[in-house]
Amino acid sequence: MHLFLLGVSHRTAPVDLRERLDFSSRDLGAAVEALATRSSAAESVVLSTCNRSELYIATGEQERTRDELVAFLADYHQVPRDTFLPHLFTHGGAAAAHHLFRVAAGLDSLVVGEPQILGQVKDAFHAAAERHCTGPLLTKTFDWAFAVGKRVRSETALGEGAVSVSFAAVALARKIFGRLQGRRVLVVGAGEISALTAQHLRSHGVAEIVITNRTAGPAEVLASETGGRAIPWSEMAAAMARADIVVTATGSQRPIITREHAQAATGRRRVDPLFIIDIAVPRDVDPSVSEIEQVFLYNIDDLQSIVQENLARRSAEIARAEAIVAEELVRFAAWQRSRRAIPTVVALRQRFDEIRRAELQRLESRLAALPPDARARIDEVTRLIVEKLLLEPTEQLKALPDEETQAVYTEAVNRLFRLDDGPDEPAASEPDVRATDRSRNDP
Amino acid sequence: MNVLPLVLYAAAGLAYAVHFARRQPQVGRLATTLLIFAALTHTFVIGMQTMEVRHVPFANPSRAISTFVWLLALSYLYLEVTTDERAMGVFIMPMLIGLQVIPAVSPGVERMDPVLDSPWFWVHVSSLLFAYASFALAGVLGLTYVVQFKEIKKKHLGYLYTRLPSLQTLDVMNSRAVAVGWLFLTLGVAVGAFWTAQARAAAPDDPNLQAMSLNDPKIFVALLTWGVYSFAVLARRTMGWSGRRAAWLSALGFAIVLLNFLPINYFVTTSHTF
Repeated sequence: MHLFLLGVSHRTAPVDLRERLDFSSRDLGAAVEALATRSSAAESVVLSTCNRSELYIATGEQERTRDELVAFLADYHQVPRDTFLPHLFTHGGAAAAHHLFRVAAGLDSLVVGEPQILGQVKDAFHAAAERHCTGPLLTKTFDWAFAVGKRVRSETALGEGAVSVSFAAVALARKIFGRLQGRRVLVVGAGEISALTAQHLRSHGVAEIVITNRTAGPAEVLASETGGRAIPWSEMAAAMARADIVVTATGSQRPIITREHAQAATGRRRVDPLFIIDIAVPRDVDPSVSEIEQVFLYNIDDLQSIVQENLARRSAEIARAEAIVAEELVRFAAWQRSRRAIPTVVALRQRFDEIRRAELQRLESRLAALPPDARARIDEVTRLIVEKLLLEPTEQLKALPDEETQAVYTEAVNRLFRLDDGPDEPAASEPDVRATDRSRNDP
Repeated sequence: MNVLPLVLYAAAGLAYAVHFARRQPQVGRLATTLLIFAALTHTFVIGMQTMEVRHVPFANPSRAISTFVWLLALSYLYLEVTTDERAMGVFIMPMLIGLQVIPAVSPGVERMDPVLDSPWFWVHVSSLLFAYASFALAGVLGLTYVVQFKEIKKKHLGYLYTRLPSLQTLDVMNSRAVAVGWLFLTLGVAVGAFWTAQARAAAPDDPNLQAMSLNDPKIFVALLTWGVYSFAVLARRTMGWSGRRAAWLSALGFAIVLLNFLPINYFVTTSHTF
């Protein structure tokens, strides 16, 4: 059983094609179920986000599975296969696991280290597991990928620091106010970034969002979008005195928050901090406002330079994250090899046990005279001898360093002990070997 | 006997420093484990000394410092466990290690003046030591607040910014530490005054007791400390002095405490020498 992966991602396909092949907007569980019924694969998981649609499969025959997956994609999405064939990528075995580990770690994301992807990988796996489309290989592979994602997150700074202006503003607010529950927000000017920032703040549980705009219309719209409240332009000063966070984004050519405004607003709040986020160009807030002790004033350039720094810091962490992925991949490959050794190990044990039983059978007439507990002990001792003899070879077989060596060893063991069915040998030879065994062992 | 805790505190301090720099959770857990182990060992050492001299060992400065370090370690552990915030460890540990060097190097002889043989003494000293431990925490929290405040204000969001807790968290922790410290300081000072008056009447010939007044630098500075922290508590409640001003106040208060605890205690005090 091998791991196989086929898909498109933002690295291989343009956005319109990714949209046409997207599973996430429809029911992911239904998709993976459809895939499982249509293909000959033993296990399948469908991972789909706005940047990728990937099919993870456990299969014995990669070529056949590949054709089935292409046919599935074409039929399920009603997209002619020629449109997406040039954009497909496929990986088999360790390369597929490597890809999944990098995806889970956020290394393959459009914005490196973005936090959602690990959750999306988990959702994809659970959707498949719920519908019994997964088995031992994909379960182990995905569990491993979750662990890789977690390790990268905790051991590197790959996902740290906001990489958009609105997230940077929220991150700053959290460094000032801690949890944002109970905080009051004033939004001055209803634009796109102020809407985004307000939405992020809302998702962090701020108590109140008050929106004001020179014309009431946009303020009302933004208020309904964010669950806030629109107030008339004339009440701005009063609202500012109550606010902890002020977001300004008007098209005004002159500052609308002067030092006097800010002083009036902070006089009443004593020494609680006031965080003003000025994302307007030209600026809405007089720069001298930042001279007031408890005011933290950040403008769009400040926030953008934070984003740039964070991006630079993230890319500096990529090498460390890749190293973790590589390290885990080596362990994963070792696990896979040890799994591949299992049929040989089982056959070896069966072979040895057969010999043991046959010998005991042969001595049956002489052993019959012994009392039952002595016979039981002989049985026990012979079993232990076989186990001890096999312990070391078993461990060695499981721990072989690479696939080639493993193939050589497996072949050697198969030949030395005339095992019936090694992992790659046809099962047809089975009866012959058994027959020879018996003829030799029977008295 | 105070050497083993010192070594363990140093090991914990190192782990906290590595955790601060690299932010690896497992190193953080190691640091906490080491500190818990250090505090347990220290508890054992103090317990042994208590058994040996039959009272909690703080009748000489060196042993009082050891007890102070122990209380500070416990208070810090409490703070860490309740807030799940390990970043402060790197600032607390140098103080623990630095102070613990004193009892480790010069154990001092536990000599119990008969005047001190009173339950009031125990309440007086343990309250004050606990108050000072709280103020130490508050002082470090205050300084950290000021550092973090400056980083955000100057838009210099670098090394410290990413590692330190939010201003609000620091402020809340600081406020709690000051409030608890102030309660124990008040208790300690009140018991001290009450007990001095009692002892004076009982032993009219003791020159030390008769000389105890505000003219003694140690007593004066202790009252000054009480004044500063009373103001800090009051100002936060009534004037909304939180954040940076509260942070500076607690740093100032702790500077006075340290002054009283070390130079004045060793060199200047006239009557309060036991």
